[in-house]
Amino acid sequence: MIENPYYPIDSVVEDIITETPTIKTFVLKPSRPIKFKAGQFMQLTVPGVGEAPFTPSSSPNVEDKMEITILRTGKVTEALHELEPGAKVGLRGPYGKGYPVDKMKGKEVLIVGGGVGLAPLRSLIYCLIEDASKYKRISIKYGAKNPEELCFKRQYDEWTRAAGNVDFTNTIDVPAPGWNGRVGLVTTLLDDLDIDISDSIAVSCGPQIMLKFVTLKLLDCGYEPPQIYLSMNRKMSCGMGKCGRCNVGPYYLCVDGPDMCYDKIKDIPNVFG
Amino acid sequence: MLFIDSTNFERLLKKLSADGELYVPVLMRLDGFRTVDPWKGAAQMLRCPVANYPDDKSREISEEKFRNVVIVGARACDIYAFELVDRVEIEGEFTDPFYKVRRDKMFIIGADCTECGESCFCNLLGNKPWPEKGYDLNVSSVSGGYIVEAGSDKGKAAIEANKDLFSEARDEQTKHRDEVRSAVLDKLEKQNRAFPRAEEMPDVLRAALTDDVWDEIAAKCVECGACTNICPTCYCFLLYDMKADGEYFQRISTWDSCQVTGYARMAGMLNPRARLTDRVKHRYYHKYDYLVKSHGAIFCTGCGRCIDSCSATIDMRESFKKVSDRVKAGKR
Repeated sequence: MIENPYYPIDSVVEDIITETPTIKTFVLKPSRPIKFKAGQFMQLTVPGVGEAPFTPSSSPNVEDKMEITILRTGKVTEALHELEPGAKVGLRGPYGKGYPVDKMKGKEVLIVGGGVGLAPLRSLIYCLIEDASKYKRISIKYGAKNPEELCFKRQYDEWTRAAGNVDFTNTIDVPAPGWNGRVGLVTTLLDDLDIDISDSIAVSCGPQIMLKFVTLKLLDCGYEPPQIYLSMNRKMSCGMGKCGRCNVGPYYLCVDGPDMCYDKIKDIPNVFG
Repeated sequence: MLFIDSTNFERLLKKLSADGELYVPVLMRLDGFRTVDPWKGAAQMLRCPVANYPDDKSREISEEKFRNVVIVGARACDIYAFELVDRVEIEGEFTDPFYKVRRDKMFIIGADCTECGESCFCNLLGNKPWPEKGYDLNVSSVSGGYIVEAGSDKGKAAIEANKDLFSEARDEQTKHRDEVRSAVLDKLEKQNRAFPRAEEMPDVLRAALTDDVWDEIAAKCVECGACTNICPTCYCFLLYDMKADGEYFQRISTWDSCQVTGYARMAGMLNPRARLTDRVKHRYYHKYDYLVKSHGAIFCTGCGRCIDSCSATIDMRESFKKVSDRVKAGKR
């Protein structure tokens, strides 16, 4: 008998947290613990609707439960947003390489997120904060469209309080009534970086267009392509490097990514679509 | 060298396929050249149900449920295609069990090409129009029957178990086979003389990454997907879930084509290959560049089926010549 890699692990939706008007976090209890690395992704099945790839937003140090934070944007996510606690779903994975956490040891880690892109990064943030002394600094920069769309609002203070070497700054794209914080695209948070760039690794996750401008900005700041890791966006289906949907040049994002070192992909035409 | 006459060959096929499926060309011709359709469906089914959910019986795959498959008349290009796709489906971190079991249970009877089609270009890949490996038995058409060679332990055992069906091949039969082989190879060399050899193409493609020659090549494409469906090394597939009886659903893997608009489209309508040129280019680069980097080989066998099936008469050899000429002109 051979284990069927296409059969999902039965899981139950234990809780649903509304993060923003368009984003919900699903707390899932799989029928057996799932070990994953921050940045690896899962294929989440809504029975009868289909599968879609998501990177967990919870700590990789917790194996018996998994949180996945999802923007309502397509067929499967529409169906997910309609679910109630107690619903049965399926999980396959984890797939992909995950963030290069080992390379971050002893360095100043710059984390740049946009919109729901903070979800996979939260898994990395937990992973780093839970072992904060191993990193010189953990600097988080986050942007959203408007104050309502800021994801994980309740946790920003928690992260900066967790360790002395964590800082968090956020911004919204355009002014909004009652908002006294920074206004401007997330790249504006990179304007006056007080980071030792030569000793830093930058990771970014967000919409493709944001990744493009964050990358240009980082290069402008003095980052070299090998120091930049991007969560690339492609359709990932099988997760096993076979179905052929998620090519970025010669790489299959599902096995070589989804976080790609910019140095590997910088010469691919239209890499940001 | 052994000989088997046509009547005994049919007896052998009946015996070999007694407990399984038998795939033979409709006209049962083992001379000529490759069939119109590729053989990939014998390993990667056109539509393969991969899981029923929720159903404990679907959690594991029982090899016993798969029948033996005998395929008869696979040409060198067809056999080479299996070897290539094996690298993706079997080797590496993940194995597709459905593909692997069907491959394990496959008995391949190869056949020499005694002619070549106008679109055949296996020689450009450095391959021969007769199988040299990857088969269990290989047959070469000669008057009254076939010269037979075993290429695996399974093949040797099949001969051993059916000794009475074979006789020693006569020298003139072997000589005839060798003459036909070299005549077909000569013809291939002649008909493809004007086109670049495949080994040059990865470097040529890398140099043509941003060349607008691709717009010219893509201009004729009508996005029918015939080239990918008929290609023996195109393995990409679509996974989808279908409602089955009652509370159940069925997960299905089906052949798919990177040439259609929605292939790489994501939720939110983002599409990294929305332009036709990018999709056409993707097919060439995937086969002649990306897979060389990721799986160590050009994923093309030179069977020419994509040329025959193209509604827009796009000829891969001509496309490559165009790109290669453009790159060479640019270097001067």
